[in-house]
Amino acid sequence: MSRALDNENPTIFAPTHATSSRRQPKSARALLWDSEADMFQESDMEDGSESEEEREEIDSEEVFDLLRSITDPEHPVSLEQLRVVNPDDIRVAGNRVLVYLTPTIPHCSMSTLIGLSLRVRLLRALPPRFRVDIRIKPGTHQSEHAVNKQLNDKERVQAALENKHLLQVVEGCLATAGQRGVGDGNVGAAPITA
Amino acid sequence: MGLVAKMDVARIVRTHITTAELEPPTELITSVNDGSTPLLEVVKGLGEYLTSTEDDVRLKGLTFLSNVVKVIAPGRYNRQATQTLTRYFLSKLDDFDSLPSALQALTVLSKLPTFDDEAAVDVYKAVVEEVNLKSYVQATRHMVYVLFDSLLATHRSALKAMGSDFINSYTKMVDGEKDPRNLLLLFSMEKVILLEFDVKDHIEDMFDITFCYFPITFKPPPNDPYGITADDLKLALRQCMSASPYFAKMAIPLFLEKFSTATGHSMRDLMLSMAACFPIYGVEAVGERGGELWEGIRTEIMYSSDTTIEAAALSALESLMRTLYPTEAEVPTGLAQDIIKEALTVLEEPEKSQGIASTKILAALVRASPSAGKYALSQALPQLFRQFNSPSLPSHRSPILSAISSLLISAQSVYSAPESGRHQYTEKSLEPFREPLLDVLREGLRTESLRGPAIRGSVALVEIPGFWGRDEVEDVVRGMNDILINDGDVEIRSAVINGLTTISRSYSSTIETVTLPLLFHHLPDTAPSLSDIDARSKYRSILDSLSRLCIQPSLFETLVIRINSKLDLLAPTPISDVETDEQECNVAYCWDLLNTLLTVIERKLVAKHLDIVKYFDAIVPRLYGLCVEAALPRAGGGKTLFGDRRLLSLVGRIGETMTWELNTERQAKQIDVVYKAFEKGEIAAMIHETTQIRTAGSPLRNGASSSEQDLIAVYSSTLQGLKAETPLPFSDAADYLSGKIHWTIHVATSPFQLRFALDAITALVNKRATELQSSLAEILEMVWVKEVIDTSNEFEVRRRGLLVYLHIVKALALIRHQLAYDAVLRVIECLSLASFDPVFVNEAARGFSVLAEGKGKGRERGSHLTAKLLCAQKLWNVVLPKLIEADRDATGKTRLVYLVAFSSLLPLVPSSLCLSDLPTILPLILRSLTLPDPVQRTNAITTLTSILETQNMSADVDKIIHQNAVTMVEGLAKSVLPDPSGDLETSGKVRSAALRCLAFFPDVVRHETLHTVKSDVLRDLGKALDDPLRIVRREAVECRAKWYRYGAAV
Repeated sequence: MSRALDNENPTIFAPTHATSSRRQPKSARALLWDSEADMFQESDMEDGSESEEEREEIDSEEVFDLLRSITDPEHPVSLEQLRVVNPDDIRVAGNRVLVYLTPTIPHCSMSTLIGLSLRVRLLRALPPRFRVDIRIKPGTHQSEHAVNKQLNDKERVQAALENKHLLQVVEGCLATAGQRGVGDGNVGAAPITA
Repeated sequence: MGLVAKMDVARIVRTHITTAELEPPTELITSVNDGSTPLLEVVKGLGEYLTSTEDDVRLKGLTFLSNVVKVIAPGRYNRQATQTLTRYFLSKLDDFDSLPSALQALTVLSKLPTFDDEAAVDVYKAVVEEVNLKSYVQATRHMVYVLFDSLLATHRSALKAMGSDFINSYTKMVDGEKDPRNLLLLFSMEKVILLEFDVKDHIEDMFDITFCYFPITFKPPPNDPYGITADDLKLALRQCMSASPYFAKMAIPLFLEKFSTATGHSMRDLMLSMAACFPIYGVEAVGERGGELWEGIRTEIMYSSDTTIEAAALSALESLMRTLYPTEAEVPTGLAQDIIKEALTVLEEPEKSQGIASTKILAALVRASPSAGKYALSQALPQLFRQFNSPSLPSHRSPILSAISSLLISAQSVYSAPESGRHQYTEKSLEPFREPLLDVLREGLRTESLRGPAIRGSVALVEIPGFWGRDEVEDVVRGMNDILINDGDVEIRSAVINGLTTISRSYSSTIETVTLPLLFHHLPDTAPSLSDIDARSKYRSILDSLSRLCIQPSLFETLVIRINSKLDLLAPTPISDVETDEQECNVAYCWDLLNTLLTVIERKLVAKHLDIVKYFDAIVPRLYGLCVEAALPRAGGGKTLFGDRRLLSLVGRIGETMTWELNTERQAKQIDVVYKAFEKGEIAAMIHETTQIRTAGSPLRNGASSSEQDLIAVYSSTLQGLKAETPLPFSDAADYLSGKIHWTIHVATSPFQLRFALDAITALVNKRATELQSSLAEILEMVWVKEVIDTSNEFEVRRRGLLVYLHIVKALALIRHQLAYDAVLRVIECLSLASFDPVFVNEAARGFSVLAEGKGKGRERGSHLTAKLLCAQKLWNVVLPKLIEADRDATGKTRLVYLVAFSSLLPLVPSSLCLSDLPTILPLILRSLTLPDPVQRTNAITTLTSILETQNMSADVDKIIHQNAVTMVEGLAKSVLPDPSGDLETSGKVRSAALRCLAFFPDVVRHETLHTVKSDVLRDLGKALDDPLRIVRREAVECRAKWYRYGAAV
């Protein structure tokens, strides 16, 4: 650990919901039956043509789900546990997504890097029709404006990603993104011994 | 004899050497092995070649001899032959080309009983003197090491007696080896040397040849044919490093030095290696540099951004503490004290990340050592209690309680593990905190934000043997019950259930008297209305809790009684054919109650509980009674709840599962009463006596109502639950079977009845094939001719006939009955009529999915059909060539049906079988990816996935996969798109499957093979991200992330 950390002792919060969001069901009828009940329904001798697909729109919870388990560049904890991303700070309207991120301290030099990780994740995980804005939550960072500019300028983002070292750090942060809030060990359990 | 043999030997040898065929012929080997030709004869016969002045000829002679030595029986070597051969091969060590053969021969000789210690030393010395290892390739160097390994195994004491000579020459010899295959062997030898030889005076040399490899940075190429992983090497090296305490002096400074340079995997390796070494190096050596070691470990625990490194650092800490304070006798002064003090200072801010790290440090101390652990608890708990009771911020209480629970969990992990040898009742580390612990946990269970840690801590304490008494346990159980009833959070409730289940193992009566009554009390007597979602999710959560708690025999009885009485209350509810919301709610509630019962029964079966049979009479006849009562004609017309087919199916499943558990005698009784009920109309005996019924005759009679016919579910399930040896209540099985077939094809009035009737036929044929033997062929013929191919029949009759036919084939194929293979050919033949009878032929092609169902029919457990070993393989080997042949001969559109049949059959075959047939079936699988029906495409994709999932695939498979990778990826890409493209219909299932399959490629296929298609795949996956279904989008995100990382150096 050669470099001094920006925030060497941030506050850790318990994740709000460890698994993906619970959503409003499509209809009350759909909720009536246990998921296992499907195999007891009558249709199985008939050709099992899929019931027509009702579109489930991408909403802010889904976007949060994509971001929550990204690892902080300084600590082995998720952005959700540091409350850097919050479900309430994500807006989805039509083809636009707006994400506010909250740095753990106002002088955090990692904010740009975190923002870049969010951007790369959404670039890869959201359909191209979306236009994504990533902003620092107003009043939480000294150089809010500069960071916002950096994060939402296509060419600057592109240039940053051409830096091999930077990209590697971003990939490192994104390696855990697929967990989507599941996982995260217990403090007291014995560590693995190989 | 001798003369003949001699002539033979000379001739054989001559022919072989001149034709350069250097493997000895079998006759020669046999003759040497049975003693007719002495081994020395062979040497003599080779004489002129072995001494030839031509290098080439000499090498051939030597190789031939070496090959002979390798294969003949050990008993054929006498002492003299062994010596002569050893001397001969030793003399060839300095010959560059002869070395490999000589080494192999010497390795064989070294294992002989006639090979003595003296020879071992001679061979070892000769090799180290004559062979300049660095000039040879890896394979030859490996042979040298294999020879050493053999010498070390069989003549260890002789080598040991060589003293310094051995170690000096050995360390020189192996110096500079780099190949992982060789290193693995060297490490295993060095471990032996370090442990058994006198290495003290040569420890520097040993250190050099061992620690020069540390830390290992090897990274095997993907699909490495040698299969050596970095972890294999690390573990082997670690065992050497930790083999000798003499290493300590040099190793510890090296460790300290590596702290500043190691990162990532090497840092993790460093931590784990230290953890392994400390106990061996001993308290003196480790204690000297303890403070510095702790500094390095501490940095990784406090600041590392990688959890695996953090975990490794914690095990290094644990090892450090265990080494310094091994028993309760050591006073935890010095380092332990400092560590604890610092951790507690940091914990003044419990919500911070370092607070969490400090808790982990304290927990490691508790696990590591009885003295340091006890001291840590005695210092930490009072401070944490104080912080909990007067927190600087209310939000701090949750991390504080988490810290307390983490310490309790670590205490529990040592006190409840017998192998740790530590006990709470001897150490009494928690004894002083009995009261305050109960207080904070009780408080935690009561407070919404504190429940998670409170549950964890409570369960940990219950699990520490002999700590809490019954009253304390009851106290926390009550607290947990309240959460179960009132907390809506799924996670928390699930944690409570896990906790209660754990508690019930040692305190089942507490759960029975405190928890169960409360849960049943909160189950409603009638179903909540459709809009009352909360009430429904509440009863669901209670049932879920019950289904996990009541697995234990002592709690199961209560469950059976309570569920029965709820069902009795619900059963008379009338239902009509028009589905109303209220009716659906009742059916769903009933279904959930029954499913709870079934789930518990199945879980008990998994746990191999024997008490299930005891409850047969309390469950099965009662449920059957409810179904019968609902089905019989009623005075006012109309039906009651149990006439619902979904409930009938579930009752059937319970009946089948329970019947199967009975012994044959009880089964015979059960089938007798069920048979009488259905064939003779004597229903009363089948059902529980309390049920009042008006007999109306057999439910299968002509003129029975559709609801009576639905009772086939009960009948069929009983038949399916029978064992093959249970006596049947009728004498002519063939007659009986024909009757059932007739009912299935001509009488059954709904797909529901058809399904159960077909299952009954399958079970009957599958288990009674011997009794049916003579008539089966005739029955199949009848069905085929009269019902299936007669085009004057109604289509539905032909379709049902075909289903009956295929189910019989399946039942026979499962027991590898020859008739199955003859019968299935007819179905394949009829596929050629595609242009005359298209609708029916298409139905037949899709019908192969019946055969693909195999034993399980989609369920993992609970199928009671008999299946012989390799039955799927046999059927596949019969059908596949026919389909391939027919497909080849067909032209144009008529080929399609064979592809449909092929892909419908695919789920039958296990992936191992696919792998061996891969060259033949891969083209068909790839073509199947273009079939219009998503179900068949899903089959093809699932098979492809199972092929790609294979661990350690052979070089051949790897090659085929790489050759076809681009085609596979392009084929799959067509199925991931949410909009149907071309003729391809789509479904959520096929899109998910295709995405899951595509996600495997980056792990299996080397990047250079697919880099040309990467951008296309990413573009297609970009469209898949916009899938209408959330669950598919999830797969798409996962898959696309993998493809983005593909080929990028990380």
